[in-house]
Amino acid sequence: MSSESNGPLFGKLIAIKDNISTGPSTPSLATTAASNTLRKHASPFAATVVRLLTENGALIAGKTNCDEFGMGSHSLNSAYGPVKNAYVRGGHALSAGGSSGGSAVAVATRQCWAALGTDTGGSVRLPAAYCGIVGFKPSYGLLSRWGVLDYANSMDTVGILSRDVPDARTLFRILNRFDEEDPTSLPPSVRARLSSADAGEKPDESARNARALRIGVPTDYCLEELSSPVHRAWIRTLNRLQDQGHQLVPVNLPSTKQALSAYYVLAPAEASSNLAKYDGVRYGSRLQDPPSHQEAEADKSGKSVLFSRYRGEGFGDEVKRRILLGAFALSAAAMDNYFIQAQKIRRLVQDDFDRVFASPNPLHTASSSSSSPKPSSAQKPAHEASPPQSTRSKVDLLITPTAPTLPPTIDDVRQQDPLATYTNDAFTVPASLAGLPSISVPVQTAGRPRSGAAADGDGGWGDVGCAGVQVIGQFGDDDIVLRMGEIVEGLR
Amino acid sequence: MHSSTLRTAPIHLTRTLQHPSFTTARSLRPCIVAKWLQSRRLTTASPRTQEVIPLRKHLKDEAKRKKAEVKRDGNVLSTKQTSDSRLDKWELTVGIEIHAELNTACKLFSSAPAEVSVGDDGGSANSRVAAFDAALPGTQPQFQIATLLPALRAAIALECEVQRKSGWDRKHYFHWDQPNGYQITQYYRPFAKDGSLTLGAFDGVPAEDLNGAESITIGIKQIQMEQDTAKTMNVGSSTYHVDLNRAGMPLIEVITLPHIHSPQTAAAVVRKIQAVLKGVDACVTGMELGGLRADVNVSVRQRGTSGTGSSYSGVSGLGQRTEIKNLSSFKAVEDAIVAERDRQISVLEAGGVIEGETRGWTLGATETTRLRGKEGEVDYRYMPDADLPPLVIGSDLVKHLKTTMPMLPDAVEQDLEEWHGLSRKDAKTLNEQDNGDRVEFFERTASFLLAEVGTFKSEVSTGKERRKTGKLVGNWVLHELGGLLATHQRSWDDVRVTADELKDILVCLHKNQITARAAKQILAELVQRQPAPKGPYWPSMDTRPSVEQLIDAGNLRLRPLSEHEYEKLAKQIMDASPEMVKAVREKGQKGKVMWFVGQMVRQGEEGTVEPEKAKVVIERLMDG
Repeated sequence: MSSESNGPLFGKLIAIKDNISTGPSTPSLATTAASNTLRKHASPFAATVVRLLTENGALIAGKTNCDEFGMGSHSLNSAYGPVKNAYVRGGHALSAGGSSGGSAVAVATRQCWAALGTDTGGSVRLPAAYCGIVGFKPSYGLLSRWGVLDYANSMDTVGILSRDVPDARTLFRILNRFDEEDPTSLPPSVRARLSSADAGEKPDESARNARALRIGVPTDYCLEELSSPVHRAWIRTLNRLQDQGHQLVPVNLPSTKQALSAYYVLAPAEASSNLAKYDGVRYGSRLQDPPSHQEAEADKSGKSVLFSRYRGEGFGDEVKRRILLGAFALSAAAMDNYFIQAQKIRRLVQDDFDRVFASPNPLHTASSSSSSPKPSSAQKPAHEASPPQSTRSKVDLLITPTAPTLPPTIDDVRQQDPLATYTNDAFTVPASLAGLPSISVPVQTAGRPRSGAAADGDGGWGDVGCAGVQVIGQFGDDDIVLRMGEIVEGLR
Repeated sequence: MHSSTLRTAPIHLTRTLQHPSFTTARSLRPCIVAKWLQSRRLTTASPRTQEVIPLRKHLKDEAKRKKAEVKRDGNVLSTKQTSDSRLDKWELTVGIEIHAELNTACKLFSSAPAEVSVGDDGGSANSRVAAFDAALPGTQPQFQIATLLPALRAAIALECEVQRKSGWDRKHYFHWDQPNGYQITQYYRPFAKDGSLTLGAFDGVPAEDLNGAESITIGIKQIQMEQDTAKTMNVGSSTYHVDLNRAGMPLIEVITLPHIHSPQTAAAVVRKIQAVLKGVDACVTGMELGGLRADVNVSVRQRGTSGTGSSYSGVSGLGQRTEIKNLSSFKAVEDAIVAERDRQISVLEAGGVIEGETRGWTLGATETTRLRGKEGEVDYRYMPDADLPPLVIGSDLVKHLKTTMPMLPDAVEQDLEEWHGLSRKDAKTLNEQDNGDRVEFFERTASFLLAEVGTFKSEVSTGKERRKTGKLVGNWVLHELGGLLATHQRSWDDVRVTADELKDILVCLHKNQITARAAKQILAELVQRQPAPKGPYWPSMDTRPSVEQLIDAGNLRLRPLSEHEYEKLAKQIMDASPEMVKAVREKGQKGKVMWFVGQMVRQGEEGTVEPEKAKVVIERLMDG
């Protein structure tokens, strides 16, 4: 590619999460999703997003560790061992967040200029918040998923980790392309309708850029799990934005409470399906001992000893847990009570967002193409009957905390019940269910100066000193989300 | 990479014709994947082409085997009687699911070619595999819109309502023939619903099923599109070879309602659906070539009762059903249903209960065998495929296809019967042979012949002439030409005789210029000769003689004898065989006249004696 030498990313090092295919180009890097099932797997083709980076002059710095297949909130569930945050508290390593923890640490420690991660329920935003950097999850369908290993394909989104918002925007503009290889990539016809497509052509858009923004503050996000340092950082950010002339509007997103449960039904269900291909036949390391004849015969009769042994040995505990959860949710006996109900909640979460945002959802104004069944009126929960948000109270953006707490120590996480770690995703999951753009930006926690890469010398990283604040916008409002991210970033 | 670029060039070309949007990068992918699979040592030697047994031969062999069995057991009559009497009490109900491979250029969700293209070594295993077909991590399906056309033709031909919006679902099960661990199908929302199929006696429906009516109608519940699986071959004790060439090929599944009440009708339904699918060019290979597979659901109930109260697809009051999977010939469909019906009746009469289970059948067996029971049923965990947008089919497309549909087999046969004067049986035989090539040959020959010999005096007389020549041509195309091909063990593809040549022969015959015997001789000669080389620079006369030339060379032209010459020849023969004359004259054995006619044809010079005239002369002389 002739553009390489003078591309906008010329010479910039970019790290790639290990569940994004880097292809056969030099250097040939394995793509294993941190799983033993794919040990040494080198994809024969590169992901479209990786190709776009190299075509624009970027250098692939390497692959970063993560939770196996993106399943985790602390990057501890990896075949290569845990990711460690650079920050420590009382001598104990902190969680880097997950699942794109390796990418976040690589950016925070300046081993690369920026990194790609994937975000299914918060996997870019959470590690960004824990590592004190920026994490951006664009609208679903803008960045190609071709070459990105599936976890929950209806929510999997390629995300960007960077030191500041302008860098994230630079990468986003390069990667935001229609890709005909990816059937979920938004086609040009839909892109033309998005406000972020070309601000110049939409007069109301430039008007919105000039005026003060209406910021929605979801009262439903004041969960009891919300810790006070995070809570204070959030409130202080909101106050400063108000000082700058932006308007704060309290909004209700009543489905937030069910969103996490719905996510942990839907994501495992899709995972159980997407990971069925890892049977050891076509890729991944074969078993140490070849299958015996009896095993092969048993496989034939449906007892599947070969596959189950391979999968049993290859997958980690968390992946197995989610596959089992998902397989159960999809089983004939549980389908109606779990998968279908969760899809209904997903639709309610989308409706919640559409109700509070001033701009209409461009996916719903056209013929709805969502595969999730619409709840019948009889099944609508009571809160659906609440009066619609008046036009006056509609907002341009939402601002919430990214995670309920500051990063816990790895030791603390290890003592947690696996289900308890799921609550980390409570604030990030709703935007994932609705496919909305959102960004996590670090803001200082009260009374503590933000330490960082420039901090005191050899390994002298202290506590993180900042919390992630999340900006969520209407589908396709990626540019406005980035702009507000930049404003929040400038508050420090 | 260069050699592989060359290798896929033909694929690329053919694909480009189908899809203008097709890019070079995509056509390369099958190669990348093939190499990839090779590196995984997944490539096998090209599988030996499965030995194809022609249906007729198969049926003959089966009949022979059965006959031998009967001879050995010696009590077929009593068995038949008992089973017949049981059938007075028990009623059979059958529903069928038919899987047929669509006639398309590419796979359902990838650009990999569906068929080996000319000049490509794509016949080898794992050579027609795109990244998605091998389920490489990070790949997504890409619906190939061209696969929709044959599927829609099938739906229209089976009188289904094409759904404006349908969807794709994943059906999960682990097997090495299923690279993704699931099959993409249309479980929740199929693209076509509520069709029907009408069958009559000529389709093989027994009189009891027709019950006095001219035809019966079987409901089609739905048609869905789905992916085929890979081929696996067991080589050695614990080694299996996987060939992904078939993985992801587009199939349709046609599901009938449980409206079928006899094994013969079930086989007729499968045969007719195959004929319809072939007729509208939805499918290419038929059942005997593995392009069509059927699963049957079988239940019995006592007549006049509502069975165990089971209901399927909205038909209620049925007995508990079992499913017999993977039947790959019409014969297997019929025999498997007979066996399963008899088994179920025996179980019920002995006071037992039918279990809902899946059973298997092997050709030539007398009983179905249990594959798995209800507790062993696979939970397929159907879920919508979030990667694929819903399939939206515009009514204008359906309308367009309806107006450009090829004629359905029933219509073709009706046309042959009413327009060309063939019997329904001949019409059906003609239509079902050689993918419609033989009907086309017939129609060409018939129209050429009519153009030359027709008088076109009036509409009525033209119709009469057309039916007369039609019958003549039908007879020659089916029986004379068919017989010659059978004698030489050649297929229709190698028929060599052109419609023009057959027309020339039949014109001479029609005009009494040659005898039927001579006509047959010429046809036999032409069937054995090398076909004329194609192209304008090769005058066919050099290598292949015309009908006229053959007539002249064989001195076959009819030179009618005078009345006197006929009498002379007749007298000669009568004088030589006085006892035969006596038999006719004194004993009144009129049949012996034909012996004399035969003698006259034989002893007369080739092409001079017409049997009809000879008969008149002999009869006159005998009376005289």
